[in-house]
Amino acid sequence: MTTAALYPVTALEGPPDADLVRIRDLVYQVAGIFHPDNKLRLLLDRCGRRMKELKTASLREYFECLTVKPMRQTELVALLNEITIGETCFFRSQSQMDGLRQIVIPKVLEAKSKLPLRRLRIWSAGCSTGEEPYTLSMLLLEEAHGRLKDWSIEILATDLNDRSLAHARNAIYGAYSTRNLTSHFRQKYFTAAAKQLRVQPAVRGSVTFSRLNLSDDGRMTFMKAIDVIFCCNVLIYFDLLSKRRVIQHFHNNLLPHGYLFLGHSESLYGVSDDFRLVHLPGATAYIKGERKPAGK
Amino acid sequence: MNTAATKANLLGRIGGLDRIPAIPAVLAPLLRHLRQPVEQLDVQEITDMIAQDKPLAAQCLQMANSPLFGRWQKVDSLRGAVVGLGFHRISDIAMSCGVLNLMPKQNAGIDPVVFWEHSLGCALVCRHFARKISYSDPGKAYLAGLLHDLGIIVNLRVLPREFCDAYELARARGIPLHEAEQAVLGFTHCDSGRLLADKWDLSPDLKEVVALHHNLHPSHDHAGLVALVELSDLLCRMSGLNYGYVESRQVNLFEEKGFAVLSRQCQGLKDLDWARLTFEMESYMDAVHALVCAIYRT
Repeated sequence: MTTAALYPVTALEGPPDADLVRIRDLVYQVAGIFHPDNKLRLLLDRCGRRMKELKTASLREYFECLTVKPMRQTELVALLNEITIGETCFFRSQSQMDGLRQIVIPKVLEAKSKLPLRRLRIWSAGCSTGEEPYTLSMLLLEEAHGRLKDWSIEILATDLNDRSLAHARNAIYGAYSTRNLTSHFRQKYFTAAAKQLRVQPAVRGSVTFSRLNLSDDGRMTFMKAIDVIFCCNVLIYFDLLSKRRVIQHFHNNLLPHGYLFLGHSESLYGVSDDFRLVHLPGATAYIKGERKPAGK
Repeated sequence: MNTAATKANLLGRIGGLDRIPAIPAVLAPLLRHLRQPVEQLDVQEITDMIAQDKPLAAQCLQMANSPLFGRWQKVDSLRGAVVGLGFHRISDIAMSCGVLNLMPKQNAGIDPVVFWEHSLGCALVCRHFARKISYSDPGKAYLAGLLHDLGIIVNLRVLPREFCDAYELARARGIPLHEAEQAVLGFTHCDSGRLLADKWDLSPDLKEVVALHHNLHPSHDHAGLVALVELSDLLCRMSGLNYGYVESRQVNLFEEKGFAVLSRQCQGLKDLDWARLTFEMESYMDAVHALVCAIYRT
Protein backbone atom coordinates (compact mmCIF):
# COMPACT_ATOMS: atom_id res chain seq x y z
CA MET A 1 0.00 0.00 0.00
CA THR A 2 1.34 3.42 -0.91
CA THR A 3 1.52 6.32 1.49
CA ALA A 4 -1.21 8.08 -0.45
CA ALA A 5 -3.45 5.09 0.00
CA LEU A 6 -2.62 4.94 3.69
CA TYR A 7 -3.75 8.48 4.33
CA PRO A 8 -6.77 9.09 2.10
CA VAL A 9 -7.03 12.75 2.93
CA THR A 10 -8.20 14.30 -0.30
CA ALA A 11 -10.74 12.03 -1.92
CA LEU A 12 -14.20 11.48 -0.53
CA GLU A 13 -16.23 10.00 -3.35
CA GLY A 14 -19.11 7.63 -2.82
CA PRO A 15 -20.92 7.06 0.45
CA PRO A 16 -19.09 8.20 3.60
CA ASP A 17 -16.62 5.69 5.00
CA ALA A 18 -18.24 3.83 7.90
CA ASP A 19 -15.17 4.27 10.12
CA LEU A 20 -15.05 7.98 9.39
CA VAL A 21 -18.71 8.21 10.39
CA ARG A 22 -17.86 6.39 13.65
CA ILE A 23 -15.10 8.92 14.31
CA ARG A 24 -17.52 11.75 13.49
CA ASP A 25 -20.05 10.35 15.97
CA LEU A 26 -17.38 9.84 18.62
CA VAL A 27 -16.18 13.45 18.28
CA TYR A 28 -19.79 14.63 18.56
CA GLN A 29 -20.54 12.45 21.56
CA VAL A 30 -17.40 13.37 23.46
CA ALA A 31 -16.76 16.95 22.37
CA GLY A 32 -20.12 18.14 21.01
CA ILE A 33 -18.72 19.22 17.63
CA PHE A 34 -20.60 17.84 14.63
CA HIS A 35 -19.32 17.41 11.08
CA PRO A 36 -22.22 17.14 8.62
CA ASP A 37 -21.66 14.97 5.55
CA ASN A 38 -20.48 17.92 3.46
CA LYS A 39 -17.76 18.63 6.06
CA LEU A 40 -16.55 15.04 6.38
CA ARG A 41 -13.73 15.80 3.97
CA LEU A 42 -12.41 18.27 6.54
CA LEU A 43 -12.60 15.67 9.30
CA LEU A 44 -10.90 13.15 7.02
CA ASP A 45 -8.12 15.63 6.40
CA ARG A 46 -7.65 16.24 10.15
CA CYS A 47 -7.66 12.51 10.89
CA GLY A 48 -5.18 12.05 8.05
CA ARG A 49 -2.73 14.44 9.71
CA ARG A 50 -2.95 12.55 12.98
CA MET A 51 -2.69 9.18 11.23
CA LYS A 52 0.45 10.33 9.48
CA GLU A 53 1.92 11.37 12.84
CA LEU A 54 0.99 8.04 14.42
CA LYS A 55 1.83 6.01 11.30
CA THR A 56 -1.61 4.49 11.45
CA ALA A 57 -2.66 2.57 8.37
CA SER A 58 -6.44 2.88 8.35
CA LEU A 59 -9.34 4.84 9.76
CA ARG A 60 -10.43 1.71 11.58
CA GLU A 61 -7.08 1.51 13.35
CA TYR A 62 -7.20 5.21 14.09
CA PHE A 63 -10.69 4.81 15.58
CA GLU A 64 -9.14 2.25 17.94
CA CYS A 65 -6.45 4.78 18.88
CA LEU A 66 -9.27 7.09 19.91
CA THR A 67 -11.31 4.53 21.80
CA VAL A 68 -9.41 1.45 22.94
CA LYS A 69 -5.69 2.10 23.17
CA PRO A 70 -4.17 3.58 26.35
CA MET A 71 -3.28 6.80 24.51
CA ARG A 72 -6.94 7.47 23.67
CA GLN A 73 -7.41 10.54 25.88
CA THR A 74 -4.29 12.25 24.60
CA GLU A 75 -5.08 11.34 21.02
CA LEU A 76 -8.59 12.71 21.28
CA VAL A 77 -7.23 16.04 22.49
CA ALA A 78 -4.68 15.98 19.64
CA LEU A 79 -7.48 15.41 17.12
CA LEU A 80 -9.63 18.16 18.65
CA ASN A 81 -6.65 20.51 18.38
CA GLU A 82 -6.39 19.62 14.69
CA ILE A 83 -10.11 20.18 14.21
CA THR A 84 -10.11 23.63 15.77
CA ILE A 85 -6.73 24.78 14.48
CA GLY A 86 -6.83 28.07 12.63
CA GLU A 87 -10.38 28.77 13.73
CA THR A 88 -9.43 31.88 15.67
CA CYS A 89 -9.93 34.95 13.54
CA PHE A 90 -11.96 38.14 13.43
CA PHE A 91 -15.58 37.56 12.35
CA ARG A 92 -15.17 33.80 12.60
CA SER A 93 -18.92 33.28 12.17
CA GLN A 94 -20.63 36.08 10.27
CA SER A 95 -24.11 34.59 10.78
CA GLN A 96 -23.59 34.51 14.56
CA MET A 97 -22.52 38.15 14.51
CA ASP A 98 -25.49 39.10 12.32
CA GLY A 99 -27.80 37.24 14.70
CA LEU A 100 -26.28 39.05 17.67
CA ARG A 101 -26.64 42.46 16.09
CA GLN A 102 -30.03 42.11 14.44
CA ILE A 103 -31.93 39.85 16.83
CA VAL A 104 -30.20 39.34 20.16
CA ILE A 105 -29.11 42.90 21.02
CA PRO A 106 -32.57 44.39 20.31
CA LYS A 107 -34.17 41.67 22.45
CA VAL A 108 -31.73 42.26 25.31
CA LEU A 109 -32.23 46.02 25.16
CA GLU A 110 -35.99 45.55 25.21
CA ALA A 111 -35.73 43.27 28.24
CA LYS A 112 -33.62 45.90 30.05
CA SER A 113 -35.52 48.93 28.82
CA LYS A 114 -37.19 49.60 32.18
CA LEU A 115 -34.03 49.26 34.24
CA PRO A 116 -32.28 52.43 35.39
CA LEU A 117 -28.80 51.10 34.57
CA ARG A 118 -28.21 51.08 30.80
CA ARG A 119 -25.38 48.59 30.72
CA LEU A 120 -24.66 45.69 28.39
CA ARG A 121 -22.29 42.97 29.61
CA ILE A 122 -20.92 40.43 27.16
CA TRP A 123 -18.51 37.68 28.15
CA SER A 124 -16.12 36.00 25.77
CA ALA A 125 -15.31 32.86 27.76
CA GLY A 126 -12.16 31.27 26.36
CA CYS A 127 -11.21 34.30 24.29
CA SER A 128 -7.85 32.86 23.18
CA THR A 129 -5.80 35.61 21.47
CA GLY A 130 -8.57 38.20 21.54
CA GLU A 131 -10.09 38.19 18.05
CA GLU A 132 -13.57 37.33 19.33
CA PRO A 133 -13.93 40.06 22.00
CA TYR A 134 -12.49 42.69 19.63
CA THR A 135 -14.95 41.58 16.94
CA LEU A 136 -17.76 42.01 19.46
CA SER A 137 -16.44 45.41 20.45
CA MET A 138 -16.33 46.60 16.81
CA LEU A 139 -19.80 45.32 16.19
CA LEU A 140 -21.19 47.17 19.20
CA LEU A 141 -19.32 50.33 18.26
CA GLU A 142 -21.21 50.23 14.96
CA GLU A 143 -24.38 50.60 17.03
CA ALA A 144 -22.96 53.25 19.37
CA HIS A 145 -24.83 56.11 17.74
CA GLY A 146 -27.91 54.04 17.07
CA ARG A 147 -29.69 51.66 19.37
CA LEU A 148 -26.78 51.56 21.84
CA LYS A 149 -26.65 55.33 22.29
CA ASP A 150 -26.29 56.10 26.02
CA TRP A 151 -25.55 52.48 26.86
CA SER A 152 -22.31 51.49 28.54
CA ILE A 153 -20.65 48.42 27.09
CA GLU A 154 -18.52 45.93 29.00
CA ILE A 155 -16.87 43.06 27.22
CA LEU A 156 -15.26 40.63 29.63
CA ALA A 157 -12.71 38.44 27.92
CA THR A 158 -11.22 35.53 29.84
CA ASP A 159 -8.83 32.72 29.07
CA LEU A 160 -6.74 30.24 30.97
CA ASN A 161 -3.61 30.76 28.91
CA ASP A 162 -1.38 33.70 29.92
CA ARG A 163 0.44 33.76 26.58
CA SER A 164 -2.82 34.03 24.67
CA LEU A 165 -3.93 36.83 26.96
CA ALA A 166 -0.64 38.70 26.44
CA HIS A 167 -1.15 38.40 22.68
CA ALA A 168 -4.71 39.66 23.08
CA ARG A 169 -3.64 42.69 25.14
CA ASN A 170 -0.94 43.47 22.57
CA ALA A 171 -3.74 43.65 19.97
CA ILE A 172 -1.55 43.19 16.87
CA TYR A 173 -2.65 40.63 14.30
CA GLY A 174 -1.35 39.09 11.10
CA ALA A 175 -2.97 38.29 7.79
CA TYR A 176 -4.46 34.96 8.85
CA SER A 177 -6.38 36.36 11.82
CA THR A 178 -7.65 39.31 9.83
CA ARG A 179 -8.61 37.42 6.66
CA ASN A 180 -12.37 37.83 7.15
CA LEU A 181 -12.28 41.58 7.84
CA THR A 182 -14.18 43.69 5.33
CA SER A 183 -12.48 46.85 4.16
CA HIS A 184 -14.99 48.84 6.23
CA PHE A 185 -13.89 47.27 9.53
CA ARG A 186 -10.23 47.14 8.49
CA GLN A 187 -10.08 50.84 7.72
CA LYS A 188 -12.27 52.02 10.55
CA TYR A 189 -10.89 50.04 13.49
CA PHE A 190 -7.27 49.11 12.66
CA THR A 191 -4.00 50.88 12.02
CA ALA A 192 -1.02 49.44 10.20
CA ALA A 193 1.80 48.06 12.36
CA ALA A 194 4.62 46.98 10.05
CA LYS A 195 3.01 44.19 7.99
CA GLN A 196 0.37 43.59 10.61
CA LEU A 197 -2.70 45.37 11.91
CA ARG A 198 -3.17 46.94 15.32
CA VAL A 199 -6.61 47.23 16.91
CA GLN A 200 -7.44 50.86 17.63
CA PRO A 201 -7.84 52.09 21.24
CA ALA A 202 -11.56 52.78 20.78
CA VAL A 203 -12.12 49.06 20.19
CA ARG A 204 -9.83 48.02 23.00
CA GLY A 205 -11.43 50.41 25.47
CA SER A 206 -14.51 48.33 26.19
CA VAL A 207 -12.67 45.00 26.48
CA THR A 208 -11.23 43.79 29.80
CA PHE A 209 -8.97 40.75 29.68
CA SER A 210 -8.39 38.52 32.67
CA ARG A 211 -7.19 35.01 33.42
CA LEU A 212 -9.95 32.62 34.41
CA ASN A 213 -10.20 28.88 34.65
CA LEU A 214 -13.80 27.91 33.79
CA SER A 215 -13.45 25.01 36.24
CA ASP A 216 -12.71 27.38 39.10
CA ASP A 217 -16.08 27.27 40.86
CA GLY A 218 -15.14 30.00 43.30
CA ARG A 219 -14.29 32.57 40.64
CA MET A 220 -17.04 31.51 38.27
CA THR A 221 -19.66 32.55 40.80
CA PHE A 222 -18.38 36.13 40.62
CA MET A 223 -19.24 36.50 36.92
CA LYS A 224 -22.60 38.13 37.48
CA ALA A 225 -25.32 39.86 35.49
CA ILE A 226 -24.16 38.80 32.03
CA ASP A 227 -26.35 39.46 29.01
CA VAL A 228 -24.58 37.33 26.41
CA ILE A 229 -21.90 34.67 26.71
CA PHE A 230 -19.74 33.48 23.82
CA CYS A 231 -17.97 30.20 24.54
CA CYS A 232 -16.82 28.79 21.22
CA ASN A 233 -14.82 25.57 20.89
CA VAL A 234 -13.81 25.65 24.55
CA LEU A 235 -16.11 23.10 26.18
CA ILE A 236 -15.02 20.45 23.71
CA TYR A 237 -11.97 19.79 25.86
CA PHE A 238 -13.98 19.23 29.05
CA ASP A 239 -15.28 15.88 30.25
CA LEU A 240 -19.03 15.58 30.71
CA LEU A 241 -19.09 16.36 34.43
CA SER A 242 -16.89 19.43 34.07
CA LYS A 243 -18.93 20.57 31.09
CA ARG A 244 -22.11 20.29 33.16
CA ARG A 245 -20.56 22.33 35.95
CA VAL A 246 -19.47 25.08 33.57
CA ILE A 247 -22.88 25.18 31.89
CA GLN A 248 -24.53 25.36 35.31
CA HIS A 249 -22.35 28.37 36.10
CA PHE A 250 -23.23 29.99 32.76
CA HIS A 251 -26.89 29.52 33.62
CA ASN A 252 -26.35 31.31 36.92
CA ASN A 253 -24.13 34.00 35.38
CA LEU A 254 -26.67 34.95 32.72
CA LEU A 255 -29.54 37.32 33.35
CA PRO A 256 -33.00 35.80 32.68
CA HIS A 257 -33.08 37.16 29.12
CA GLY A 258 -29.48 36.08 28.47
CA TYR A 259 -28.04 34.20 25.50
CA LEU A 260 -25.30 31.64 25.18
CA PHE A 261 -23.44 31.19 21.87
CA LEU A 262 -21.30 28.13 21.22
CA GLY A 263 -19.13 27.34 18.19
CA HIS A 264 -20.89 27.09 14.84
CA SER A 265 -21.27 23.27 14.92
CA GLU A 266 -21.17 22.82 18.67
CA SER A 267 -24.07 21.43 20.68
CA LEU A 268 -25.23 21.13 24.31
CA TYR A 269 -27.22 17.96 23.59
CA GLY A 270 -26.86 15.54 26.48
CA VAL A 271 -25.05 18.15 28.57
CA SER A 272 -27.79 20.38 29.93
CA ASP A 273 -31.56 20.70 29.94
CA ASP A 274 -31.37 24.16 31.46
CA PHE A 275 -30.90 25.82 28.07
CA ARG A 276 -33.16 25.83 25.02
CA LEU A 277 -31.81 25.88 21.49
CA VAL A 278 -33.14 28.78 19.40
CA HIS A 279 -32.67 29.42 15.71
CA LEU A 280 -31.46 32.75 14.42
CA PRO A 281 -31.03 33.35 10.69
CA GLY A 282 -28.27 30.92 9.68
CA ALA A 283 -27.13 30.36 13.28
CA THR A 284 -28.18 28.86 16.58
CA ALA A 285 -27.91 30.07 20.17
CA TYR A 286 -29.18 28.98 23.58
CA ILE A 287 -31.57 30.77 25.90
CA LYS A 288 -32.43 29.91 29.47
CA GLY A 289 -35.26 27.38 29.61
CA GLU A 290 -37.86 26.87 32.29
CA ARG A 291 -36.10 25.20 35.19
CA LYS A 292 -37.96 22.12 36.43
CA PRO A 293 -38.94 22.27 40.11
CA ALA A 294 -36.81 19.99 42.26
CA GLY A 295 -38.17 16.48 42.66
CA LYS A 296 -40.44 16.63 39.62
CA MET B 1 -57.33 34.04 4.34
CA ASN B 2 -59.34 35.23 7.34
CA THR B 3 -62.44 33.38 8.38
CA ALA B 4 -64.80 35.79 6.66
CA ALA B 5 -63.29 34.99 3.31
CA THR B 6 -64.91 32.24 1.34
CA LYS B 7 -63.78 30.02 -1.45
CA ALA B 8 -66.07 31.97 -3.77
CA ASN B 9 -64.50 35.34 -3.14
CA LEU B 10 -61.01 33.87 -3.31
CA LEU B 11 -61.90 32.41 -6.70
CA GLY B 12 -63.23 35.80 -7.71
CA ARG B 13 -59.96 37.39 -6.63
CA ILE B 14 -57.83 35.06 -8.72
CA GLY B 15 -60.21 35.01 -11.71
CA GLY B 16 -61.79 31.57 -11.54
CA LEU B 17 -60.84 27.95 -11.23
CA ASP B 18 -59.68 27.81 -14.84
CA ARG B 19 -56.66 29.90 -13.91
CA ILE B 20 -55.43 27.29 -11.43
CA PRO B 21 -52.83 25.10 -13.20
CA ALA B 22 -54.02 21.66 -14.25
CA ILE B 23 -52.25 18.63 -12.83
CA PRO B 24 -49.20 17.69 -14.97
CA ALA B 25 -49.79 14.54 -17.04
CA VAL B 26 -47.26 12.43 -15.20
CA LEU B 27 -48.44 13.33 -11.70
CA ALA B 28 -52.02 12.04 -11.89
CA PRO B 29 -51.04 8.36 -12.31
CA LEU B 30 -48.19 8.73 -9.81
CA LEU B 31 -50.51 10.12 -7.16
CA ARG B 32 -53.15 7.51 -7.99
CA HIS B 33 -50.62 4.70 -7.75
CA LEU B 34 -49.35 5.97 -4.44
CA ARG B 35 -52.75 5.25 -2.94
CA GLN B 36 -52.57 1.63 -4.07
CA PRO B 37 -50.91 -1.29 -2.32
CA VAL B 38 -47.36 -1.85 -3.53
CA GLU B 39 -48.21 -5.21 -5.15
CA GLN B 40 -50.76 -3.54 -7.43
CA LEU B 41 -48.30 -1.00 -8.83
CA ASP B 42 -47.65 -1.20 -12.54
CA VAL B 43 -44.02 -0.10 -12.44
CA GLN B 44 -43.49 -0.59 -16.15
CA GLU B 45 -46.44 1.60 -17.08
CA ILE B 46 -45.22 4.49 -14.98
CA THR B 47 -41.61 4.15 -16.08
CA ASP B 48 -42.75 4.24 -19.71
CA MET B 49 -44.85 7.30 -19.02
CA ILE B 50 -41.89 9.17 -17.53
CA ALA B 51 -39.64 8.01 -20.37
CA GLN B 52 -42.01 9.48 -22.97
CA ASP B 53 -41.52 12.96 -21.54
CA LYS B 54 -37.90 13.48 -22.60
CA PRO B 55 -37.09 16.65 -20.59
CA LEU B 56 -38.73 15.14 -17.52
CA ALA B 57 -36.85 11.87 -18.01
CA ALA B 58 -33.55 13.79 -18.29
CA GLN B 59 -34.26 15.69 -15.06
CA CYS B 60 -35.20 12.45 -13.31
CA LEU B 61 -31.90 10.91 -14.32
CA GLN B 62 -30.01 13.90 -13.02
CA MET B 63 -31.75 13.58 -9.68
CA ALA B 64 -31.31 9.83 -9.63
CA ASN B 65 -27.54 10.39 -9.91
CA SER B 66 -27.46 12.78 -6.96
CA PRO B 67 -26.21 11.56 -3.56
CA LEU B 68 -29.38 13.14 -2.17
CA PHE B 69 -31.29 10.16 -3.45
CA GLY B 70 -28.82 7.63 -2.17
CA ARG B 71 -27.16 6.72 -5.44
CA TRP B 72 -23.38 6.65 -5.63
CA GLN B 73 -22.94 4.80 -8.92
CA LYS B 74 -23.89 6.46 -12.17
CA VAL B 75 -27.12 5.34 -13.81
CA ASP B 76 -27.79 6.32 -17.41
CA SER B 77 -31.28 4.99 -18.03
CA LEU B 78 -34.60 5.23 -16.30
CA ARG B 79 -34.82 1.48 -16.15
CA GLY B 80 -31.40 1.40 -14.47
CA ALA B 81 -32.59 4.04 -12.01
CA VAL B 82 -35.70 2.05 -11.13
CA VAL B 83 -33.63 -1.07 -10.60
CA GLY B 84 -30.93 0.76 -8.62
CA LEU B 85 -33.06 3.04 -6.48
CA GLY B 86 -36.39 1.26 -6.35
CA PHE B 87 -39.71 2.40 -7.68
CA HIS B 88 -40.69 4.56 -4.72
CA ARG B 89 -37.53 6.65 -4.95
CA ILE B 90 -38.04 7.14 -8.69
CA SER B 91 -41.62 8.05 -8.02
CA ASP B 92 -40.44 10.71 -5.53
CA ILE B 93 -38.02 12.01 -8.13
CA ALA B 94 -40.57 12.12 -10.96
CA MET B 95 -43.06 13.82 -8.69
CA SER B 96 -40.48 16.42 -7.69
CA CYS B 97 -39.60 17.26 -11.27
CA GLY B 98 -43.24 17.19 -12.41
CA VAL B 99 -44.35 19.61 -9.71
CA LEU B 100 -41.40 21.96 -9.79
CA ASN B 101 -41.59 22.30 -13.57
CA LEU B 102 -44.88 24.13 -13.01
CA MET B 103 -42.86 27.03 -11.66
CA PRO B 104 -42.49 29.63 -14.41
CA LYS B 105 -38.81 29.79 -15.41
CA GLN B 106 -38.95 33.55 -15.83
CA ASN B 107 -40.78 35.71 -13.35
CA ALA B 108 -40.36 39.04 -11.68
CA GLY B 109 -40.64 37.73 -8.13
CA ILE B 110 -39.16 34.69 -6.46
CA ASP B 111 -36.23 33.08 -8.29
CA PRO B 112 -37.40 29.67 -9.60
CA VAL B 113 -34.05 28.12 -8.56
CA VAL B 114 -34.67 29.30 -5.02
CA PHE B 115 -38.21 27.91 -5.04
CA TRP B 116 -36.93 24.54 -6.29
CA GLU B 117 -34.25 24.53 -3.60
CA HIS B 118 -36.73 25.33 -0.84
CA SER B 119 -39.31 22.76 -1.97
CA LEU B 120 -36.83 19.97 -2.61
CA GLY B 121 -34.88 20.85 0.52
CA CYS B 122 -38.04 20.86 2.62
CA ALA B 123 -39.04 17.46 1.18
CA LEU B 124 -35.67 15.98 2.13
CA VAL B 125 -35.69 17.57 5.58
CA CYS B 126 -39.25 16.30 6.19
CA ARG B 127 -38.17 12.75 5.33
CA HIS B 128 -35.01 12.97 7.44
CA PHE B 129 -36.89 14.52 10.37
CA ALA B 130 -39.62 11.86 10.05
CA ARG B 131 -37.05 9.08 10.28
CA LYS B 132 -35.35 10.72 13.26
CA ILE B 133 -38.54 10.80 15.29
CA SER B 134 -39.83 7.44 14.02
CA TYR B 135 -42.78 9.02 12.23
CA SER B 136 -44.85 6.29 10.61
CA ASP B 137 -44.56 7.29 6.93
CA PRO B 138 -41.33 9.09 5.90
CA GLY B 139 -42.28 8.68 2.22
CA LYS B 140 -45.47 10.63 2.77
CA ALA B 141 -43.47 13.22 4.70
CA TYR B 142 -41.24 13.72 1.63
CA LEU B 143 -44.24 14.25 -0.61
CA ALA B 144 -45.88 16.61 1.85
CA GLY B 145 -42.69 18.69 2.08
CA LEU B 146 -42.41 18.79 -1.69
CA LEU B 147 -46.00 19.92 -2.25
CA HIS B 148 -46.55 22.21 0.73
CA ASP B 149 -45.96 25.45 -1.19
CA LEU B 150 -48.00 24.64 -4.30
CA GLY B 151 -50.00 27.78 -3.60
CA ILE B 152 -46.97 29.93 -4.39
CA ILE B 153 -47.04 28.60 -7.96
CA VAL B 154 -50.73 29.53 -8.16
CA ASN B 155 -50.10 33.05 -6.84
CA LEU B 156 -47.21 33.55 -9.19
CA ARG B 157 -49.25 32.44 -12.19
CA VAL B 158 -52.55 34.17 -11.49
CA LEU B 159 -51.45 37.39 -9.76
CA PRO B 160 -47.79 37.79 -10.69
CA ARG B 161 -47.51 41.54 -10.04
CA GLU B 162 -49.22 41.46 -6.67
CA PHE B 163 -47.31 38.36 -5.62
CA CYS B 164 -44.07 40.07 -6.62
CA ASP B 165 -45.02 43.02 -4.40
CA ALA B 166 -45.71 40.65 -1.52
CA TYR B 167 -42.40 38.88 -2.03
CA GLU B 168 -40.50 42.17 -2.12
CA LEU B 169 -42.26 43.30 1.05
CA ALA B 170 -41.33 40.05 2.80
CA ARG B 171 -37.73 40.35 1.66
CA ALA B 172 -37.37 44.00 2.60
CA ARG B 173 -38.79 43.51 6.10
CA GLY B 174 -37.41 40.01 6.70
CA ILE B 175 -40.89 38.73 7.53
CA PRO B 176 -42.50 35.37 6.64
CA LEU B 177 -43.83 35.29 3.08
CA HIS B 178 -47.36 34.30 4.09
CA GLU B 179 -47.65 37.39 6.30
CA ALA B 180 -46.66 39.62 3.40
CA GLU B 181 -49.10 37.79 1.09
CA GLN B 182 -51.90 38.37 3.57
CA ALA B 183 -51.06 42.06 3.71
CA VAL B 184 -50.75 42.57 -0.06
CA LEU B 185 -53.04 39.95 -1.61
CA GLY B 186 -55.53 39.48 1.21
CA PHE B 187 -54.88 35.74 1.18
CA THR B 188 -51.89 33.42 1.45
CA HIS B 189 -50.40 30.61 -0.59
CA CYS B 190 -52.16 28.23 1.81
CA ASP B 191 -55.54 29.55 0.60
CA SER B 192 -54.70 29.36 -3.09
CA GLY B 193 -52.92 26.05 -2.51
CA ARG B 194 -56.15 24.64 -1.10
CA LEU B 195 -57.93 25.42 -4.38
CA LEU B 196 -55.21 23.68 -6.34
CA ALA B 197 -55.17 20.70 -4.00
CA ASP B 198 -58.94 20.33 -4.49
CA LYS B 199 -58.66 20.64 -8.26
CA TRP B 200 -55.89 18.05 -8.36
CA ASP B 201 -57.83 15.82 -5.98
CA LEU B 202 -54.86 15.35 -3.66
CA SER B 203 -55.34 12.92 -0.79
CA PRO B 204 -56.95 14.45 2.34
CA ASP B 205 -53.68 14.51 4.32
CA LEU B 206 -51.79 16.32 1.56
CA LYS B 207 -54.67 18.77 1.17
CA GLU B 208 -54.37 19.63 4.85
CA VAL B 209 -50.62 20.14 4.53
CA VAL B 210 -50.99 22.47 1.55
CA ALA B 211 -53.84 24.43 3.12
CA LEU B 212 -52.84 24.56 6.79
CA HIS B 213 -49.06 24.49 7.20
CA HIS B 214 -49.12 28.11 8.43
CA ASN B 215 -52.32 27.70 10.41
CA LEU B 216 -52.14 24.38 12.18
CA HIS B 217 -54.82 23.34 14.65
CA PRO B 218 -54.45 20.26 16.86
CA SER B 219 -57.96 19.09 15.98
CA HIS B 220 -57.22 18.66 12.29
CA ASP B 221 -57.45 15.10 11.01
CA HIS B 222 -53.84 14.99 9.85
CA ALA B 223 -52.33 17.45 12.31
CA GLY B 224 -49.23 15.28 12.83
CA LEU B 225 -48.18 15.44 9.19
CA VAL B 226 -49.00 19.15 8.98
CA ALA B 227 -46.95 19.76 12.13
CA LEU B 228 -43.99 17.84 10.72
CA VAL B 229 -44.07 19.98 7.58
CA GLU B 230 -44.57 23.19 9.55
CA LEU B 231 -41.45 22.54 11.65
CA SER B 232 -39.34 21.37 8.70
CA ASP B 233 -40.41 24.39 6.65
CA LEU B 234 -39.43 26.66 9.52
CA LEU B 235 -36.00 25.02 9.83
CA CYS B 236 -35.47 25.48 6.07
CA ARG B 237 -36.53 29.13 6.16
CA MET B 238 -34.11 29.86 9.01
CA SER B 239 -31.25 28.22 7.10
CA GLY B 240 -29.81 28.37 3.59
CA LEU B 241 -32.88 26.57 2.19
CA ASN B 242 -35.08 29.65 2.50
CA TYR B 243 -36.99 31.68 -0.12
CA GLY B 244 -33.93 33.68 -1.11
CA TYR B 245 -33.97 36.00 1.89
CA VAL B 246 -33.41 35.60 5.61
CA GLU B 247 -36.31 36.01 7.99
CA SER B 248 -35.06 38.41 10.60
CA ARG B 249 -36.33 36.75 13.75
CA GLN B 250 -35.69 34.22 16.46
CA VAL B 251 -37.45 30.85 16.35
CA ASN B 252 -37.96 28.71 19.42
CA LEU B 253 -39.22 25.43 17.96
CA PHE B 254 -40.36 24.27 21.40
CA GLU B 255 -42.94 27.05 21.43
CA GLU B 256 -44.33 26.31 17.98
CA LYS B 257 -47.82 24.79 17.74
CA GLY B 258 -46.39 22.02 15.58
CA PHE B 259 -44.04 20.94 18.34
CA ALA B 260 -46.86 20.36 20.83
CA VAL B 261 -48.96 18.49 18.24
CA LEU B 262 -46.12 16.29 17.03
CA SER B 263 -44.93 15.57 20.59
CA ARG B 264 -48.24 13.86 21.28
CA GLN B 265 -47.84 11.62 18.24
CA CYS B 266 -44.13 10.87 18.17
CA GLN B 267 -42.37 9.90 21.36
CA GLY B 268 -39.08 10.28 19.49
CA LEU B 269 -39.51 14.05 19.40
CA LYS B 270 -38.96 14.36 23.14
CA ASP B 271 -35.34 13.28 22.88
CA LEU B 272 -34.57 14.72 19.46
CA ASP B 273 -31.18 16.38 19.13
CA TRP B 274 -32.32 19.56 17.35
CA ALA B 275 -28.80 20.90 17.13
CA ARG B 276 -27.59 17.82 15.26
CA LEU B 277 -30.60 17.92 12.94
CA THR B 278 -29.78 21.55 12.17
CA PHE B 279 -26.13 20.75 11.48
CA GLU B 280 -27.10 17.78 9.29
CA MET B 281 -29.22 20.08 7.14
CA GLU B 282 -26.03 21.83 6.08
CA SER B 283 -25.08 18.88 3.92
CA TYR B 284 -28.44 19.05 2.15
CA MET B 285 -27.92 22.70 1.33
CA ASP B 286 -24.79 22.09 -0.75
CA ALA B 287 -26.19 19.00 -2.46
CA VAL B 288 -29.58 20.57 -3.21
CA HIS B 289 -27.92 23.68 -4.57
CA ALA B 290 -25.61 21.64 -6.84
CA LEU B 291 -28.49 19.49 -8.08
CA VAL B 292 -30.88 22.34 -8.83
CA CYS B 293 -28.15 24.32 -10.57
CA ALA B 294 -27.33 21.27 -12.69
CA ILE B 295 -30.98 20.79 -13.63
CA TYR B 296 -31.34 24.44 -14.57
CA ARG B 297 -28.22 24.36 -16.74
CA THR B 298 -29.73 21.62 -18.93
